[in-house]
Amino acid sequence: MKSTSSWIYGALASTWLLACPGAALANSDVEKLTADPKNWAMQAGDMYNQRYSKLTQINAQNVGKMQVAWMFSTGVLRGHEGSPLVIDGVMYLHTPFPNKVFAIDIDTQKIKWRYEPKQDAAVIPQMCCDTVYRGLAYAEKKIFLQQADSTLVALDAGTGKVLWSVKNGDPKVGAVNTNAPHVFKDKVITGISGGEWGVRGFLAAYDINSGKLVWKAYSTGPDAEMLIDPDKTMTWTDGALKPVGKDSSLKTWQGDQWKIGGGTTWGWYSYDKSLNLLFYGTGNPSTWNPAQRPGDNKWSMTIFARDVDTGQAKWAYQMTPYDEWDFDGVNEMILADIDVKGKPTKALVHFDRNGFGYTLDRTTGALLVAEKYDPAVNWATNVDMKTGRPQVVSKYSTAQNGPDKNTKGICPAALGTKDEQPAAFNPKNKRFYIPTNHVCMDYEPFKIDYTAGQPYVGATLSMFPAPGGSTMGTLTAWDAGTGKIVQSKPEKFSVWSGVLVTDGGIACYGTLEGYLKCVDANDINKELFKFKTPSGIIGNVFTYEHKGKQYMGVFSGIGGWAGIGMAAGLDPEHGTDGLGAVGGYKELRDYTELGGSLTVFALP
Amino acid sequence: MVMRMFPNRWVVVFILCAASDGVAAADAPDKSAGPQQSNPTYRVVDGYKVDANTMNGFRAWRAAACDRCHGANQEGLVGPSLLESLKTLSKEDFVKTVRDGRLDKGMMSFSSSKTVMDNIDNLYAYLKGRSNGDITRTKVEELK
Repeated sequence: MKSTSSWIYGALASTWLLACPGAALANSDVEKLTADPKNWAMQAGDMYNQRYSKLTQINAQNVGKMQVAWMFSTGVLRGHEGSPLVIDGVMYLHTPFPNKVFAIDIDTQKIKWRYEPKQDAAVIPQMCCDTVYRGLAYAEKKIFLQQADSTLVALDAGTGKVLWSVKNGDPKVGAVNTNAPHVFKDKVITGISGGEWGVRGFLAAYDINSGKLVWKAYSTGPDAEMLIDPDKTMTWTDGALKPVGKDSSLKTWQGDQWKIGGGTTWGWYSYDKSLNLLFYGTGNPSTWNPAQRPGDNKWSMTIFARDVDTGQAKWAYQMTPYDEWDFDGVNEMILADIDVKGKPTKALVHFDRNGFGYTLDRTTGALLVAEKYDPAVNWATNVDMKTGRPQVVSKYSTAQNGPDKNTKGICPAALGTKDEQPAAFNPKNKRFYIPTNHVCMDYEPFKIDYTAGQPYVGATLSMFPAPGGSTMGTLTAWDAGTGKIVQSKPEKFSVWSGVLVTDGGIACYGTLEGYLKCVDANDINKELFKFKTPSGIIGNVFTYEHKGKQYMGVFSGIGGWAGIGMAAGLDPEHGTDGLGAVGGYKELRDYTELGGSLTVFALP
Repeated sequence: MVMRMFPNRWVVVFILCAASDGVAAADAPDKSAGPQQSNPTYRVVDGYKVDANTMNGFRAWRAAACDRCHGANQEGLVGPSLLESLKTLSKEDFVKTVRDGRLDKGMMSFSSSKTVMDNIDNLYAYLKGRSNGDITRTKVEELK
């Protein structure tokens, strides 16, 4: 009886959807597309950022037999992050700068249309850590392209024709984009990059049909510009949720530093329809020299929950107050319904650059778990669960040691224990699969003057593998309910590739050498599949079904922050001089070269 | 290039650009370059103690975050190794590249950076000292 009635409600709902096109249906459109595992309709496969697929044809028993089905060269050399989208038999691919877009008919692998924007080359040097771009968004027969020069474009998904275009930032001051746009409801949400140029971060929502700005919420500054209500926006304080109070950001900065204070927003966002909240993180405060910005620098390094319609902040939690290490808080917010310390919880799980894995109650913003997901993390002993603040170890405090002093052996490095490469969640065994960096650093801050459009960094860094081993990364299985590592599979280099987990009982990821690997989802040390793609992988694994056959794909194309040393000009003779930034990654040259391509796999 | 070694281990280097750097012709359409007004000099002791001007060159290198692309020790990263480039790049081309950038290759223009433009000779001296192998550490200290 029960099942019958829910079937009827389901049928009624579908009828309503069919009968009433228009009114805020983008959400329903994307929801419908992502509910069908044959598509890969969002960058993470769904709005919860789970990177999980229900497809089972490729599974733990047969994945070892997987073969290449087809390949496609993007014609672009630099780092390829993100993944294509697949919707109703068409694949939409993006590339790093110059941000080309291809629509490919999956049946014939013929290019249906292509689009290449005209962008000023001056943008190239402004992009931190390679000219990466993390992918497209889709809704209601539109493709959304977020160009490097900050222009947000809507293309007709059928023809590639430009429907509208809007300028999201000012590249002249270093405000550029690398993030994928995300569609939630009838809005396309995008952020901004430029924390190393003194850009003041914000998140913006544009109407998917007109490109009109609906709301814009800054990460720093006056309450009104941050869309913060001093009485209603809550934060975790003294073991409870309390209103943030008036001028919560302004009070934590000296003078006007907040105007060039960073807190950029270039990560992956998620959305919970039942709460009507979207979740994202803000990046490092500018500059990297902490001596120039005393205070907590709110709300940099913060997890935000905002009403998707108004942008109003429901809650905020700052993970790394007064950052001294460049531990941007932008990594993906994964929404999962799990038991936390034995209690069923609507959780938000986040693996921060700072090396702590956080579990929060996504409805309220209550801090539930904060534990290290790499034992090498040494800059803080722990997170005080009452105050929510990390307990900083003086020896590794670049602020306490001061400018022009080299603080050595900080773990993790600025790359973070994890950077943008997104983790996956397996609803079957409730485990998270985290691609990690196992890298440490020396960090020397120095005084820097701000000039608009010029780098505003103020620290010199060198990075090297974490002590006691030669591995620089892992795939780690994590229990977010207890904050414990379940298993950790070492990799020679950082795992800088988004993980995919499926109901076939497998978890798949790429490596910087260029291997696509699949492991047993219940025992990640069991490697079931390994294939060498044309270049190192910093892209995210995705899957789809076409005409009864399951496919799995991944971009290869070395680059990004970890692979940046692979780009032209690396002098191997000097690569390890004083443990240069590329010292540890130098050996990548023995495995791979630049070159962007997509490899698609299937069973024979 | 003339290099003299003094008994007290001070190395004084006079860089005569046109004479020593003619190899960069391929990159230098306006190689006809005018007179050498400033021949930047560096003085270095023990490989890392340098004169005030060269010290300012190092500070400009750091402030402009050149290491972001050229590596923490000028060894090259997404941009070329300056240890190598400065062996062949003429002073004129160095100034032109820093001032105007090579945008399509990812080298930005530093023309609006006062720190860099005010210290362009000092920056060149510092990098030339690194490239020549006379300055043996990236991080230098000022000679007292």
